[in-house]
Amino acid sequence: MLDMGKKQNIRNFCIIAHIDHGKSTLADRLMEKTGQVSSRDMENQLLDSMDIERERGITIKLTPVRMFYTAKDGQEYVFNLIDTPGHVDFTYEVSRSLAACEGAILIVDASQGVEAQTLANVYLALENNLEIIPVINKIDLPSARPDEAKKEIEDVIGLDASYAPLVSAKEGTGIEDVLEAVVKYFPAPDGDESATLKALIFDSYYDNYKGVILFVRIKDGQIRAGDKIKTFRSDKIYDVVEVGVFSPNLSPKDGLFAGEVGYIAASIKSILDVAVGDTVINADNPAPEPLPGYKKVQSVVFCGIYPLDGSRFNDLKEAILKLQLNDASLIFEPDNSVALGFGFRCGFLGLLHMEIIQERIEREFGLEIITTAPSVSYKVVKTDGEVIFVDNPSHLPPQSEIEHMEEPIVHADIYSPPDYLGQIMDLCREKRGTFLQMTYLDKSRVRLEYDLPLNEIIFDFFDSIKSRTRGYASFDYELKGYENSKLVKLDILLNGEPCDALSMIVHEDSAYTRGRTLCENLKDAIPRQLFEVPVQAAIGGKIIARETVKAVRKDVLAKCYGGDITRKKKLLEKQKEGKKRMRSIGSVEVPSEVFMQILKTNKD
Amino acid sequence: MAGIYVHIPFCKSKCSYCDFTSFPDKLCFAESYMACVYREMSKRSGQLKNYTFDTLYIGGGTPSVIDESYIAMLVAAAKKNFNLSQNAEITIEMNPGTVSAGKINTYKKCGINRFSVGLQTAIDNQLRDLGRIHTLNEFITCAKLLKGENFSVDVMIGLKNQTVSDIEKTIEVAATFGASHISMYALTPEDGTPVYTDYLNGELPDSDEVAAQYTAGVEKLKSLGFDRYEVSNFCKKGKESRHNLNYWKRGEYIGFGVSASSFINNVRFTNTFDLDEYFKCILSDHFAVIDSEEIDEEGREEEYIMLHLRTVDGIDLQEFKKYFGVDFIKKYSNQIKKLSDSLIINERTLRIKDEYLFVQNSIIIEFFN
Repeated sequence: MLDMGKKQNIRNFCIIAHIDHGKSTLADRLMEKTGQVSSRDMENQLLDSMDIERERGITIKLTPVRMFYTAKDGQEYVFNLIDTPGHVDFTYEVSRSLAACEGAILIVDASQGVEAQTLANVYLALENNLEIIPVINKIDLPSARPDEAKKEIEDVIGLDASYAPLVSAKEGTGIEDVLEAVVKYFPAPDGDESATLKALIFDSYYDNYKGVILFVRIKDGQIRAGDKIKTFRSDKIYDVVEVGVFSPNLSPKDGLFAGEVGYIAASIKSILDVAVGDTVINADNPAPEPLPGYKKVQSVVFCGIYPLDGSRFNDLKEAILKLQLNDASLIFEPDNSVALGFGFRCGFLGLLHMEIIQERIEREFGLEIITTAPSVSYKVVKTDGEVIFVDNPSHLPPQSEIEHMEEPIVHADIYSPPDYLGQIMDLCREKRGTFLQMTYLDKSRVRLEYDLPLNEIIFDFFDSIKSRTRGYASFDYELKGYENSKLVKLDILLNGEPCDALSMIVHEDSAYTRGRTLCENLKDAIPRQLFEVPVQAAIGGKIIARETVKAVRKDVLAKCYGGDITRKKKLLEKQKEGKKRMRSIGSVEVPSEVFMQILKTNKD
Repeated sequence: MAGIYVHIPFCKSKCSYCDFTSFPDKLCFAESYMACVYREMSKRSGQLKNYTFDTLYIGGGTPSVIDESYIAMLVAAAKKNFNLSQNAEITIEMNPGTVSAGKINTYKKCGINRFSVGLQTAIDNQLRDLGRIHTLNEFITCAKLLKGENFSVDVMIGLKNQTVSDIEKTIEVAATFGASHISMYALTPEDGTPVYTDYLNGELPDSDEVAAQYTAGVEKLKSLGFDRYEVSNFCKKGKESRHNLNYWKRGEYIGFGVSASSFINNVRFTNTFDLDEYFKCILSDHFAVIDSEEIDEEGREEEYIMLHLRTVDGIDLQEFKKYFGVDFIKKYSNQIKKLSDSLIINERTLRIKDEYLFVQNSIIIEFFN
């Protein structure tokens, strides 16, 4: 068995790759090859453990795994593979995971070459001073062109790809080369076992029996069961109940030492008490300085979540509370809407995060929900000088009480090959961006910097930029602050009644177009009623667009005779069921799906 | 009041909109089938000694496709096994392509006093599209044979390529040749039938067009002296179908033959839809019921509302109170308030306004729990 002190035989690394270039398959192969999981027992793609992850092919929750490998040099090595989420919403989580590693395997698809997302993550890895090994995957495909892929790696990223292993994770070829490369090219972790404890929290989850499980990389010192610990940014002190490693299930050990990756269980009740990126220190002998790179997670996107069936509010509450146990970045507060009843106003890291939470509520808790249009948090300066933040359009004070409004602005970095500059600049102009500067990094890469209003990018900016640059551009942003903006509240009226759940805050210049598109979409989405329903968009009291839902003219069961009575009654009952799923806005019945329709409106 | 229904599941060919229980290729079983029906009747007779039946309705399929002597025996069997009232309404459905003077004579002789003729449309192209076996001329021949009789004509709207004037013409033909009753139905494209493909391909008129056809049809019928008494049924004074009115008034009825339904003593039950199974059950001296449901209090009330609101008489408020022990107007005051534009209420009845009859589903389901 490996001596725990032998730091030089530990390799901590992650895999970065474009979305379907085979990250999970390669991870599976590495585990299989190192005997971590027998291929027979192996459920495909172990690392992506949530259904949603598997279906979307993305990683949300990080699951590290520990492997043993006896290399050709005859020595046994410990590999800690830390998986990373692959989306801009989770950039911060990725960066913390990367900070727990010394190396990164970069997978490049042999037929598709280097793609945009690869670049974003490569630069993140380089920022964290990781050693990178390129791996050419999918060489079994007839369209594979490994030499070109290598050349692209060298030209576009500037990495030496001459030693890149050629593999087919699917068929299991070349895996040994990857393992050897890990031993050879990735440095062993440094850090001082005898120093005071400093452990980086790179993830956590809630376990029903053990409380919060912290995923940590021990940077300095050591930790054992019985130690008293705290985190740098909280005063609460915990007794360590258990430490251990991932195999990939939790496997307890006596202690964790500098250089190792593992977990800590310390009867921590709430995930909100321990933030990802924070540093675990020894309460009796606290390190004076935290590890660098901590950021407080901030909600960027907000939306209302309501149960489709109004009577299931308590189920929804329970679902959200349970999800928050494992996801400290999900915030919420109770909310209610005239149209939708009781629900929650929730805050998310980004649009994908929002979609994932919505999907998990529906799938894992069997709840059907209605979500309102996503919003950002606006700063409202009132005429009496009071400053409030509003992320829910229905909480916006009347126009007469508003002195001015400010909206969040982000500083966006867009990396792209020069060929797509025109398209990107067009998009940024459409999205009210302010050009800051352009830097040629090398002949194949340009960095564009823009200030962009956050509300313009939360909906579809990521998708637009990908589609306009055939996926080559990558994009990252950080909040810069608030700026004055001409914002208005756009209201929707159905049969003259305002529908609070359909209101939104938009920039004055786009209000007219938005309003018109909304009315057009609603006209198609609202079923015809017994009477004509005017659909109007309004700013303040002024109507800016109008459509009409015509009255229904035929809604009758044909022949209804003897044998048909039961069947016909069932048809009516079905129709009634459909009606029960509708919400009443005044006298107008609106299917719950309509409230989601808004999302689509924002996508054109 | 109670009715008897007999289902004759045979046809010459299947119409393109038909999803009823009918077998175009099994005419050779007609004799055995009818023997089973007689047997089923005699088996049931003991249970229904206390009933007096006011109507007998022979439907299908195409009852006129089988030998008329079976029909005569059928009527005789009904009379033998049940108390059929003196002036009972006895109806047979006929396809204009399957009748002859002899047949109609036999029908009349055995006591049949009402005929229901499936014209559907007076436009031959549309008849062909529907897979009907008859032509307009054959209908005229048939109608002439029925001269002076009490007969009804079925008219369909919502057909492929059908215009308002086609519908007006069809109604006119039916009226001119002596119909005393007209049923006007919108085509319902049922999944699995050939017209469903037309529907999917968008070849059928949309709901607004069908609504316009219906309105025009109602106007035409009115001008020819046909009053609407149910959303799809129109007749000259006093010529309502008593058999169908019984359905809409939630009256009791007993059904015989494959797929026939019954409603006796608040239990709705249905015979098997499978011909072989029907034979097996009856020949082994069993009933052929596959489905039976006792209607609970709430169900009774919903059925009552759903059926009565189809008729122009609507809900008889006193009768409702007598049956269900509650005041309709009080119990449903919220719904009535909401629907006030579409209802007519006086101290005795509550009904759907004429112009809302064709959108009655949305109104009826408001009263469902």
